Amino acid sequence: MKKRVFFLAAACSLLIASWQARASDVKVIANSSVTASSVSAGDVKDVFLLDKDSLGGSHVDPVLSKGGPAHEAFLKDYLGKNDAALQAFYRSLVFTGKASMPKSLGSDGEVVAYVAKTKGAVGYVSSGASTEGVKTLVVK
Amino acid sequence: MKQMIGRLMAGGMLAALALSMALQAQDFKLFDRTVQVHGFASQGFVHTDENNWLTMNTSNVGSGEFTDFGANASTQITDRFRVGAQIYDRDLGQLGRWHPDLDWAYGDFKFKPWLGFRAGKVKTVLGLFNDTQDMDFLHTFALLPQSVYSTDMRDSTLSHIGGDLYGTFSLGKHVGKFSYTAYGGDQRQSIYGGYPYLLTIHGVYIKNSGGPTFGGDLRWITPVKGLLTGASYEKNDVLNTGLLNPSIALGGPNVFVPYTEWSKDQFAQQFYGEYAKGNLRVDAEFRHFWRDFTIFNGQFEAATNTHPWYGSASYRVAKRVELGGYYSHYEIDWIVTAPGQVEAPNVSSPDRHLYDKVVTARFDMKNYWYAKVEGHFMDGYAGFQYPDGFYPQANPNGLKPDTNALVVKTGFNF
Repeated sequence: MKKRVFFLAAACSLLIASWQARASDVKVIANSSVTASSVSAGDVKDVFLLDKDSLGGSHVDPVLSKGGPAHEAFLKDYLGKNDAALQAFYRSLVFTGKASMPKSLGSDGEVVAYVAKTKGAVGYVSSGASTEGVKTLVVK
Repeated sequence: MKQMIGRLMAGGMLAALALSMALQAQDFKLFDRTVQVHGFASQGFVHTDENNWLTMNTSNVGSGEFTDFGANASTQITDRFRVGAQIYDRDLGQLGRWHPDLDWAYGDFKFKPWLGFRAGKVKTVLGLFNDTQDMDFLHTFALLPQSVYSTDMRDSTLSHIGGDLYGTFSLGKHVGKFSYTAYGGDQRQSIYGGYPYLLTIHGVYIKNSGGPTFGGDLRWITPVKGLLTGASYEKNDVLNTGLLNPSIALGGPNVFVPYTEWSKDQFAQQFYGEYAKGNLRVDAEFRHFWRDFTIFNGQFEAATNTHPWYGSASYRVAKRVELGGYYSHYEIDWIVTAPGQVEAPNVSSPDRHLYDKVVTARFDMKNYWYAKVEGHFMDGYAGFQYPDGFYPQANPNGLKPDTNALVVKTGFNF
């Protein structure tokens, strides 16, 4: 019985630890022109699904990563779509004229560099990435 | 010869698109604005065991007359105003015939997320897929459920020249979001579509088709993650004009006289739901389509009433492989006042229904390149009162009650 409780507790701890690791796997970053410093997870979803184009009164444009762990974690934690579904979603807007395809970059370094120099850009990088020159948004 | 020139032109455009994709020349600057260029193309092959389908000669070796492509350019003029345009062309058996169309071309001003306005030629929002039905790369299936999204009648609801009011608003975390579109304008219908082709059997050659339209769509993005539901409505006034050759029906020398037909009443109501979670996607739609026409220069009346629906599911089993299936249900009620036109009394008659069971595998070889293999197992052919994929011209020896079809399709987009 004691063994069972021990294994159950260990499994629960692992689950919680993995969930916490996932939630902190990714940082949401923005160009310094974006006035907001904290946003809700719903705002992040709305910005990346193009339902919202401003944060704290500043116009924003989403910037994507092409792949990698931060991209996967971001899709799962914030957008609830897999990569194929997200691409299909953007393409359905692009090919009916409703939106442009968001910029998509190959690495955390490229995302940070692009967000740093582009007014209104909002992106995401892995939690360990250097975010010099951009602001990290607190997601409530 | 004309067809060969069309094919050569299409081949050239496809090559240009492919080259553009290879060069990834998707963005360029014009007057300090970034212009995005995107395109797509697909090529299909259809083989059937019994009846010829979709105006192609599919029942012998099969047919590859199943090609389309499109290209668009768009730019964001200001944070709130964007413009763009897309061309589209296709050849599907006797349909399309390489006559390119301006698919959409409009200006879009978004005042707020909850209020925007588009004006120009705009894709019509009707159900889940009306506005994206030509973009094969977006869908799991090589052919969308034909009961609701019949490819031979695609242009009858596809777009309008006019304006849309649209927006999205939230009523709180526990209620979810609502997205609306209201539109009005003029709907032009292709003279290379299924309906004009069907009428040629009666000696009618449509030269102009269309008329005023209005409608709307309201969808609820529910607080249940991945679940949305909605309803659409479209009302049309249609006037078709062209030429009639009475000798086709009555015999005698070929004579062409002016032909007119018009709608007394026509509308579509559509209800739909979608659930998407992780790799799973489930869709279901129901449409009520009522069409009452005065035909043959006012001599007769023809009314059709249909309540098609489908349910579909797909699952991405691996990063590059998706499997899916759907059941598509189509039954037709009709009345035509012309002599000798009597509907079969029971809907179990193959000329009153078309039930299609479909299985599909989609392979995404690259992000821009895919292939699909699809099996259709069809019961019925739903007669010739309204286009539904089976035509008397393509089946001069009559139709068998069941048809199995293999559809293979590949395409790319950039």
